[in-house]
Amino acid sequence: MTAPISLRGVTKHYGSFVAVDDVSLDVEAGSICGLLGPNGAGKTTTFKCLLGFAKPTSGAIAIEGAPLTPATFESLAYVPERATLYDDFTIADHLEIYRRSYKSYEPARARELLALFELDPSKRAKRLSKGMRTAVALTLAFSIRPRVLILDEPSSGLDPVHQRNVLDLMIDAAANGAAILFSSHQVGQVERAADSVAIMKKGQLIVNSGIDDLKTGEKIIEAVFAGPAPDLGDLAGDPRVLRIEQVGSTVRAVTREGSDEIAQRLFALHPKSIRTIDLNLEEIFMNAVSGDQR
Amino acid sequence: MPAIFTVDPRSGVPLYLQLIEQIKRAIALGTIAPGEQLPTVKALALELTVNPNTVARVYRELERDGVIDTSPGRGSFVRTDGAGVEARRAVADVARAAFETAVREAKSLGLSREETLELMARTIARWYETENE
Repeated sequence: MTAPISLRGVTKHYGSFVAVDDVSLDVEAGSICGLLGPNGAGKTTTFKCLLGFAKPTSGAIAIEGAPLTPATFESLAYVPERATLYDDFTIADHLEIYRRSYKSYEPARARELLALFELDPSKRAKRLSKGMRTAVALTLAFSIRPRVLILDEPSSGLDPVHQRNVLDLMIDAAANGAAILFSSHQVGQVERAADSVAIMKKGQLIVNSGIDDLKTGEKIIEAVFAGPAPDLGDLAGDPRVLRIEQVGSTVRAVTREGSDEIAQRLFALHPKSIRTIDLNLEEIFMNAVSGDQR
Repeated sequence: MPAIFTVDPRSGVPLYLQLIEQIKRAIALGTIAPGEQLPTVKALALELTVNPNTVARVYRELERDGVIDTSPGRGSFVRTDGAGVEARRAVADVARAAFETAVREAKSLGLSREETLELMARTIARWYETENE
């Protein structure tokens, strides 16, 4: 069975610029994948390819096991970073367009969402703040109870209370079996709502893992020696070690996995003190995008 | 469920481990009673704003550890046989790990065996004193 969201070796060139470079990613039903990456890493282009707005130079995309067709959009919702609304139309008009366009549209659900985001349906789109525009886009997206959700910065412009509401909407949808891929600059949101994380850098997918596995494996072992640090032998060559930092008598080994064994190897060199430091997702993210080791 | 859980997503400790520890602690302390029903995966995920698969993993591991029973369609319940024993063992593990960390820290800071023992004795005297009176 193919995952509801599936990319296989997706590559997108714009002239000589490689925006997306051989990305393969699956998001299973009931799963939430958080996509992180610096600006220009290729997140939005990946979304465009997924939705058929851009044609990949090579690679394959499947939504719910099949290539995109107009019918795919009956169960797929997309929230772009900048919500595209009709300026002179009211929020109610936008909902009416959805009612006419989607068999899966649920008016009761739409009313719940309007109340959740405190939106006045009689307001025209051009009078809405950035956060309210995002809220309208989210209301439309969730009103069809989609089985596949693709959200580009879904909380941009929203206050912290409504940001939390967005996470709860994603969690509720995933608990009911939806597959969700969302990008965010807020690592804390990914840490809460996602079970897996994908990190892009310069068009490439450099991390694709379960968050818990990532946190379990990636740690810093810090050893302080009495004098200058001794010869570390081939520690840096150990595939479980991402990087070694050394300042005076302090040695820090960043591990990808097997932190206990690496700690034992360092302990055998008789340090004065040794400790293991847990890393949160933000630190893991920074390690991934700043280093060249991966 | 009368117990209150909080998770810290910004911690380096995986969320599922944080939750397992808290639920076992609540059972060991009796704030969740044997036979009591746990919230559904979806309800707990929404209450804490954490991923549903994370909560599902917590329940799977608690079942594997013999702390809860999950039957399809009925829900998850704290076991009446031995859940408390299992939970107390888990809590003792947490305490042992904390102790281990403290002693290792003392040693790495250069304290002698005698100094560490003395520190421990003073700490124990402070926290257990009221119980003996």
